[in-house]
Amino acid sequence: MILNTDSMKPIYVQIAEWLEGEILYENIKEEERIYSQYQLAEMFTINPATAAKGLNVLADESIVYKKRGLGMFVSQNAKQFILTKRRSQVLGQMIKELVIEANRLEVSESELSRMIQQARQENEEEQL
Amino acid sequence: MSVIQCEGLTKSYGKIKAIDHLSIEIKENKITGLIGRNGSGKTTLLKMIAGYLKPTSGELKVFSEKPFNSLDVSANSIFVDDTMAFPDSLTLIDILSEVAAFYANWNSSLARGLFDYFSFNPHQPHSNLSKGSKSTFNSILGIASRCPLTIFDEPTTGMDSAVRKDFYRALLKDYLEYPRTILLSSHLLSELEEILEDILLINHGTKLLHLPVMELKELAVGLRGNTQAVFSFVEGKEIIYQEEFAKGSLYVVIRRELIQQQLEQIRQSGLEIFPVSTDDLCVYLTAKTKGGIDDVFKRG
Repeated sequence: MILNTDSMKPIYVQIAEWLEGEILYENIKEEERIYSQYQLAEMFTINPATAAKGLNVLADESIVYKKRGLGMFVSQNAKQFILTKRRSQVLGQMIKELVIEANRLEVSESELSRMIQQARQENEEEQL
Repeated sequence: MSVIQCEGLTKSYGKIKAIDHLSIEIKENKITGLIGRNGSGKTTLLKMIAGYLKPTSGELKVFSEKPFNSLDVSANSIFVDDTMAFPDSLTLIDILSEVAAFYANWNSSLARGLFDYFSFNPHQPHSNLSKGSKSTFNSILGIASRCPLTIFDEPTTGMDSAVRKDFYRALLKDYLEYPRTILLSSHLLSELEEILEDILLINHGTKLLHLPVMELKELAVGLRGNTQAVFSFVEGKEIIYQEEFAKGSLYVVIRRELIQQQLEQIRQSGLEIFPVSTDDLCVYLTAKTKGGIDDVFKRG
């Protein structure tokens, strides 16, 4: 498993996001047990304290919950929650940055939306 | 429970203080990285903790005992570096079986497994090993001894990059299986920081930082862009490092908490924001001048 150590994102955030991805793609389903801090430490070659912090990020958002003595489990509706959160936060942030860069390059609003439309089209054609 | 505790610890060599009024506490079952420039006192500190050197003054307790001349500390700790000496009459495989008697938790199948994995010749004497192989062999002893206090002083000296990666992973895997207090000194912080929990940064024998790696990684940010724009954000604040890398362009490293509120504004003003690697940050924090080596060339 590869982590990006140069990223602005701390490792524990990358762990949390990777776990979110696993839930999103249903590799781990709702009400199933999620990896323990020790399993994550082993998988990513990281200190278990870092892995625990990644799990805590998810627990704080109630994406996972603790069953006493059994470990952490994926909450009901976790997938929907992650989808909604990523739409508003991740996509929102990307669009913000897109707009800043477009302004810097003197790309007008209509030009920018045309570029987005074109990218969507190309993406659809590739998938056919 | 704390395994290592020191208060005003000092070690002098003549007039020079290698360790100068150091006070630290290291808790049980943590992996701590001891970082510092050449000559900062890392080895002296580790050797006092292991009981090899006697402190000049101050208090040092390891497992609640003074480590110097303590059988108890000696039996519960191992100090691994590249100068470990073994009798030439023993082959490598003899050494593996002999050290087993000294360490209560010795894991002989792990030792043999690592020995074979790194393709050692069982009948070779220790003194014939290359620099990198010596470090690798000694590290096997360090891992397989499973000592409650395991100390590595520059364990990766001479190891190639593949072996270093294997060493870090082997150490972490065995730590997960058998947690213990581990102290590692190294210059290659970027390589090993992911397996560390805490970092202790020392300079001139004194403590600069002692905190979780996760906090160190978020301690500072770098800003790059137009000199005046950068200054408008950092003016009056303590600058950790600065470098003019092109005319009218400046790179500045500053504590994140000082500009946390303005990060969005900074981004929008077109300045670039970078994470500062722990490696770079430690170099900046221990540098004599704010501009580093470039300052030497600016004179005259």
